[in-house]
Amino acid sequence: MKSHQVINLRHLTPSAYIIRLEKKNFTFKTGQYITLGFSGSIDRREYSIYSAEQDDYIEVLIKDVENGLLSKKLKKCKPGDMLDIDGAFGHFSLKDDEVKNKKFMFICTGTGISPVHSFIHTHPEMDYTLLHGIRHKEEAYEKETYDSNRYVLCTSGENTGDFNGRVTEYLLKNPVSPDTICYLCGNCHMIYEAYDILEKQGVKLGPIHTEVYF
Amino acid sequence: MKYHLISLGCQMNASDGERVRTVIEQMGYTYTEQEEDANLIGILACSVRQNAIDKVYSKIHKWNKWKNKTNLITFVSGCVLPSDHEKFLKLFDIIFKMKDLPNLPEMIQQYGITTPNGIQNGYDVQNDQIAEFWNVKPDYASDFEAFVPIQNGCDKFCSFCAVPYTRGREVSRPSVEIINEVRSLVERGYKSITLLGQNVNSYGLDKPDTEIMFPELLRQVGEIGNEMGTEFWVYFTSPHPRDMTDEVIEVISQYKCLAKQIHLPLQSGDDKLLIAMNRKHGLEKYRQSVSTIRRLIPEATLFTDIIVGFTGETDEQFDATRAAMKEFDFNMAYIAKYSPRPGALSHRWFDSIPLETKKDRHQVLTQDLKLSSRSYNDSMIDKTYRVLVRAAAKHDGYLAGLTEGKINVRFLSDNTDLIGQIVNVKIKSAIAFSVEGDLIA
Ligand SMILES: Cc1cc2nc3c(=O)[nH]c(=O)nc-3n(C[C@H](O)[C@H](O)[C@H](O)COP(=O)(O)OP(=O)(O)OC[C@H]3O[C@@H](n4cnc5c(N)ncnc54)[C@H](O)[C@@H]3O)c2cc1C
Ligand code: SF4
Repeated sequence: MKSHQVINLRHLTPSAYIIRLEKKNFTFKTGQYITLGFSGSIDRREYSIYSAEQDDYIEVLIKDVENGLLSKKLKKCKPGDMLDIDGAFGHFSLKDDEVKNKKFMFICTGTGISPVHSFIHTHPEMDYTLLHGIRHKEEAYEKETYDSNRYVLCTSGENTGDFNGRVTEYLLKNPVSPDTICYLCGNCHMIYEAYDILEKQGVKLGPIHTEVYF
Repeated sequence: MKYHLISLGCQMNASDGERVRTVIEQMGYTYTEQEEDANLIGILACSVRQNAIDKVYSKIHKWNKWKNKTNLITFVSGCVLPSDHEKFLKLFDIIFKMKDLPNLPEMIQQYGITTPNGIQNGYDVQNDQIAEFWNVKPDYASDFEAFVPIQNGCDKFCSFCAVPYTRGREVSRPSVEIINEVRSLVERGYKSITLLGQNVNSYGLDKPDTEIMFPELLRQVGEIGNEMGTEFWVYFTSPHPRDMTDEVIEVISQYKCLAKQIHLPLQSGDDKLLIAMNRKHGLEKYRQSVSTIRRLIPEATLFTDIIVGFTGETDEQFDATRAAMKEFDFNMAYIAKYSPRPGALSHRWFDSIPLETKKDRHQVLTQDLKLSSRSYNDSMIDKTYRVLVRAAAKHDGYLAGLTEGKINVRFLSDNTDLIGQIVNVKIKSAIAFSVEGDLIA
């Protein structure tokens, strides 16, 4: 476990924010997560890395959760504060040979877009479609950093996105070809539903990668 | 100078404990069963269940009280969660990771309170023999069954498990050392050797350029069997279905000493629950492995691990596990009622299945298991099996042992000299989980 200094915080919405930390000699594979907590504190939580492999800082995208412990506390941290990082952990990552010649479908809800942001910014040349499921349009975190032709905003709470409805409804109306490599990240109910849909559309579990947040 | 050591939890800790004993005894300590008599007390902690963690706290609070009366050094190692690590630092005199075991003598000698060991200079802490954890010669608890650690740590991050956080990443032990240890055990007449690791079949993956992979390691162990020509059985546990290749199964089928018993944890028969568990494989992958096992090693027995009542497990998902149980005909399944494990990812997810439901599911699945176990055991009747005699059975006048496939056998005999030997037993009756037979001269 190493202590890293907070460089700054970017508040994207009243509840979502990005913490940028010094990188030091930290290394990770895009898609992995870290555990984060205040230096010396025993309360730690998992956060996918939002920044790209080549960035000279580490960023995480966090949404404060109602009645949550750490996501609220982290929101109050200031430049100069020290946070402990452990990791990087997990296998939600890309295969080098596939990045160059495969088609990708990223399906995520809320802050589940975080590892996808890291994928796309680490490998801008990737052939991908990104489905981001949110309720309201302000949760389209840093939408402008994605290629608008590849990004489909699915809003379920209002008709302000590219698609009015949940990501799973979009998938039903827009089937995925079975050779697509699919990455699902965020809420487990979305992941289960999307998994069933993809399976029916002929995509096998092998090319379906999942990261369950809660 | 006396020491006392407690190993909590899994076989990995028990195996590590054998090495810890060696190091401490080389310093001149002798073992005592009585904690009160010890000058040095250690505990290899387990973080899998809360009660195991609670036990560490209750012990250390007791030992710390004794320090008013006696010069006592305490240490802790094993599976320690980061949150407990912080607290243990204040409670224990020494806390170390198992990989730092070779430095334990130095830590004890330099602990800074006067102990017999602190003032004696006899022990060479630079002892080459124990320059590395793996090199520490274990003080095996048995003289016919041994556990050989081949790999430590885990990179899999199943959501219900804290091992990747407590034991760290997968580290493979040099194959040369493993082969030497197995060879030496066989030379000394050991009959049952288990290659041990959190994820044995990931062996070598952490050193792709410099180390052999698991199938090759098994092959080299198999060659020892061919060379020596003696009878012994080599097991491995636990493998992960994701890394279970056909090659591993092929190698087992090719060598006599590689035991025809496979422990392949399934955990759930439902693909979506496997996703929530972050197992990174589906039922189909498991099915393929079992079908290869049945094809190449039809005589193999199959063991598994199952969790019932995992967060969100629906009746349908539980039924899928029951169906899998039926399909795979397990000889044994270690069925656990889900309980959130401190430090594991799922610990913070709502534990949605009521305890009563978990108990019911546990019972139902155990009944299913009894059927498959019984049906296999019935098929053993009138056949003669090689049985490793392990101990006197609970019933007077009987000895108990295991077949190569790890089926429990008992037979009438009071000749305890047979313990540690492999004998012929003709099976005459069977129930679920065990059989009874007659010793054949
Ligand atoms: C592998 C992994 C990666 C993760 N990556 C991210 C990430 O990049 N960004 C991020 O914001 N969170 C992420 N999370 C969730 C994060 O770890 C925490 O669970 C979350 O920040 C809540 O922590 P807390 O201490 O505030 O709430 P707690 O006091 O721990 O409890 C809050 C409850 O809310 C649930 N919960 C967790 N996240 C959410 C959510 N987004 N919406 C509603 N309920 C939730 C939890 O399951 C828990 O039951 C990730 C989780 C995992 C397992
Ligand atoms: S494979 Fe899963 S259950 Fe086994 S040690 Fe690793 S994380 Fe734990």
